[in-house]
Amino acid sequence: MYKYRAEITKGEEIRYISHLDYAGVMERAIRRAKLPAAYSEGFNPHIKIAFASALSLGVISDAEYMDFELTKPLCQPEVFDRLSKALPPGGKLLRLKEVPEPKPCKGKKHKALMAEVQEAEYELYVPLTGDWQEAVQAVEAYNKAPEAMVHRVTPKTNKMIETKQYMLKPVKLSMAGDLLKLYMDIAITQSGSVKPGEILKLLQAEYNLPVDEPKVLIKRISMKGQGKALIDLV
Amino acid sequence: MIIKLEPEILQAVEKPARYTGHELNAVHKGWESTPCHFALALPDVYEVGMSNLGLKILYEVLNAREDTACERVYAPWIDMEEIMRQRQIPLFSLESFHAIKEFDFLGFSLQYEMIYSNVLNMLDLAGIPIWSRERGENDPFIVGGGPCVYNTEPIADFFDFFIVGEGEELICETVDVFRNWQEAGKPEGRQGLLKRLAVLDGIYVPSLYNVTYNQQGLFADIEPACPEAKPIIYKRLIKDMDSVRFVEKPVLPYIDIVHDRIMLELFRGCTRGCRFCQAGTSYRPVRERSKDKLRELARKLIDSTGYNEMSLTSLSSADYSCLGELVDDLFSDFKDEKVSFSLPSLRIDSFSIDLAHKMQQVRKSGLTFAPEAGTQRLRDVINKGVTEENLMAATEAAFRQGWKQVKLYFMMGLPTENDEDIVGIAKLAEKVARKYKEVTGRWGVTVTISVSCFVPKPHTPFQWYGQLPEAEFHRRQRLLKDSITERAVKFNYHDARVSVLEGAIARGDRKIAQVIYQAWKDGAKFDGWNDLFKNDVWHEAFAKCGIDLHLYNERAREPEEKLPWEHTTPGVSKEFLLREYGKALKEQLTEDCRRGKCSACGVCPSLKAKVVDWRRENV
Repeated sequence: MYKYRAEITKGEEIRYISHLDYAGVMERAIRRAKLPAAYSEGFNPHIKIAFASALSLGVISDAEYMDFELTKPLCQPEVFDRLSKALPPGGKLLRLKEVPEPKPCKGKKHKALMAEVQEAEYELYVPLTGDWQEAVQAVEAYNKAPEAMVHRVTPKTNKMIETKQYMLKPVKLSMAGDLLKLYMDIAITQSGSVKPGEILKLLQAEYNLPVDEPKVLIKRISMKGQGKALIDLV
Repeated sequence: MIIKLEPEILQAVEKPARYTGHELNAVHKGWESTPCHFALALPDVYEVGMSNLGLKILYEVLNAREDTACERVYAPWIDMEEIMRQRQIPLFSLESFHAIKEFDFLGFSLQYEMIYSNVLNMLDLAGIPIWSRERGENDPFIVGGGPCVYNTEPIADFFDFFIVGEGEELICETVDVFRNWQEAGKPEGRQGLLKRLAVLDGIYVPSLYNVTYNQQGLFADIEPACPEAKPIIYKRLIKDMDSVRFVEKPVLPYIDIVHDRIMLELFRGCTRGCRFCQAGTSYRPVRERSKDKLRELARKLIDSTGYNEMSLTSLSSADYSCLGELVDDLFSDFKDEKVSFSLPSLRIDSFSIDLAHKMQQVRKSGLTFAPEAGTQRLRDVINKGVTEENLMAATEAAFRQGWKQVKLYFMMGLPTENDEDIVGIAKLAEKVARKYKEVTGRWGVTVTISVSCFVPKPHTPFQWYGQLPEAEFHRRQRLLKDSITERAVKFNYHDARVSVLEGAIARGDRKIAQVIYQAWKDGAKFDGWNDLFKNDVWHEAFAKCGIDLHLYNERAREPEEKLPWEHTTPGVSKEFLLREYGKALKEQLTEDCRRGKCSACGVCPSLKAKVVDWRRENV
C-alpha cells in the first residue's frame, strides 16, 4: 500500500457540512479522481481514509488533513492533479506528500493521523458591540484566570470542562476592519480539548466580551504535531 | 434580489447544508445573460426533493439550453421557515440565490396529494399569490407536473398550467413558446402566453375551462371556454428512450439524502395490470432503454459523481427484458471500483432471488415482496398474478441463500375484501415464517408485514370504488393484529386518517381547492410527515368550507358519471377500465400485454406509441 497525506482547505462553500458528511465528500472525490484507492475488507468496503480532527459545523479551515492509501505507487504530481480536479468548490488541495514506509526498526505501522495532532490555531471574526477597551479587559481577565469552566451540553454529553488547561497561548485580540479578531491556540489531547466557539461564548457570558456572538466566523488556520504542520511531519 | 443567509441563521437551523447550494454539478449561469429563468421545486424538504429522478432529468434538459437557467428550490424545514418569516426572507433558489418570485417559471413536481399544503406554503413564502387568478404580469408562471396531473382539479385554481405526462420534450416546447412570446413583447400579457401554451399537446391550462355542477353539487362537466383549449389533454410520452436526454451529471448533495445513490432508469411503464395501481396505467406502454445505452449511462454517472452505489430503477425492474445480461455487464464494467447494485423492487420468483443474491453478494439486508393481498381470491381481484406457491418458492430460495429478514407489502380495503382476506394476511406471513424453520431447522427469521390503506386512484379500474370509512380501516387493522400469533411476524400499518383524506383529495374536484387553502391557512404543512400531520385541521377545513368529505372518498361513482379527471388522461380508455373493474368483481385475470395478448387498454392507438422490449426487438 502507498499512503499519501493531503492538506486541503474547507472554504465557505462547504462550511456547513458535518464531519461525517465531509468524509463522504472526500471519498467520492477520490473515486471521481480515478485513483487506485485501497479499500477496507468486509461486506461494505470503504476507501481507507483518515482525518486529523473533526471540524465543527460552520467553521472554515485553511488546513484540513487527510491520509489515504493507494494500491499503486503513482507519482505525486499525478495524484495531486487528479485529486485537485475532483475536489468540490471550497475544497482546495494545497499540498500533497507521499508518506514513506516506516523503517522496520521503528515499528511496523504508520502512526494514525488522529494521534499525531496536538494543537490547532484559530482565528475568530466577530462584530464588536461595545468599545475596544472593554474587549481588551475581558480577554486579559480570561488570560489571567487560573481556570475557567464551560458547560458542554450535547445530545450525548453534559459536563463541565476546564478550558485553561488547553490554551497553549494567551488569547490575542486585534481589529480586522469592523470586526474583532481573536486568535486562539488550543491543545488537542487524547483526553479531550475545547472548541474555539465555546471559548468565545464563555468570554461573552462570563467575562463581558462585548460581541455579537451568533455572527462569528471561525477559521482554523493550522493543525500541528510537535510544533509542525501535520504535512511537515512526513 | 439575491438572498444572502447570515451565518447566525445557518448556525441556528438543523442541517444548514439544505440551504447553502454550491453542490458539485450544480449549474450556475449568468442571470442577465439567460433570458429564461426556470425554478424547479419539489414541495418537500431538501433530502426528499434531491432524490427525485424526474427533476434531475428536467434540470439537465433545461440547463442544456443556452437560453435557460434552471435552478432548484425545496421546502424549507419548519425551523428555517420560522426564521424566514420572522426576517422576511423570501423563498430563494439554490444556485443563484435569487428570490423565486423573480423567475419566469416555477415548476412543482407533484408526487402525492398530501403534499399540496406545502405547495401553497412555498408560494406564500415566495410572495407569489396562491390563487392563479390573483397573479399579475410580474409573477412567475406556476406549472405542475408528475403523477398528480391525472387529477389536477383539486389544485387547478392554484396553477397556471400543467404538463401532463413525460416532460423532457414538452418542457422545452414550453420554453420555446415563452421565448417567442417574450421576444414579441409579451402580447396579451399573461393570458397571451397561457393561450399559446394551451395548444401544445400535453398542456392543460385550467383557467381556460368552465366547470359545472349538478343539483347535488357534484361535478357535472368541464368544457373549454376558448378555442385554444382542447377538450381532452392526452399525456406526452417519450417514444425512444435511447435518444432522449437522461441524467449524466446529477447534482451531488453534501448531506445524506433519501436516495443517496445513482438511479439508472431501465425503462418506463409496467403492463402487469394490477388494478389498484395508478402508475401501472399512467406510464404505459413499456419502453426500455437498450442494454448498451444503459452501460454507457452507468459509466458516465459513476465518473461524474464518484458514487459507489447504483439502483436499477423502474416500476418493476426485474421485468427488464435483458436484466441478467445487463447485470453481468455492469458487474464486469465496475469490478475494480467496488460499485454495488440494487433493485428497488423484486418480483416474487426464484429468478429475482438468484439475481438479488448475486447483486448483494454477502450483505444480506433483507428482501421485500409485495403480494398485496392475503388470499388468492383477492389477489385475482386485483390482478396480482402471484400465487401462494410463487411466494413460498421465492422465500424458500431466499432462506436457502441465507436471508433472515423478509418484508411483505399488503393493502387493506381493496374492493370485495372480507375478514377472511384480512386473516389471510396473517396466515400467509406465518406460513413464510414457518418456511424458514422448515428450510433452516431453526427459528430466528423476521417477517415484517407492512399494510397500507387502499386509496382508489383516478384512471385505474378501481376509480369508481367507494373507499372504506376510517372506522372500518381501524377495525380491520385490529382484526389483523389479533390474527397474528407467530412472534416472528411484525406488523406495521399506515395511519388510516391520512389515507381517508388522501382518498378525498385524490378523487376531488375544483371545490376541494378551497379546503386545501383553508387547511393551509390553519397551519397544515408537511402532511406526509407523521409528527407534523394535523388531522383536526383538515377535518375542520372541510367543515368550514361546507364540503362533505365522504362524498369524495366513500362515495362509489356510477359508471355513467362524468368524472372530474377524465380530461387529463394517460390514454387508457374508460371502456378498458370499466371492463377491468367488471373482471375484478368476477375474479378474472388479465394477461400482461407485453408477453401475452393485447388487453385493448387504448394507450398505443391513442398516443401512437408502441411497446419497446429489447428481447423481442432482437429476436
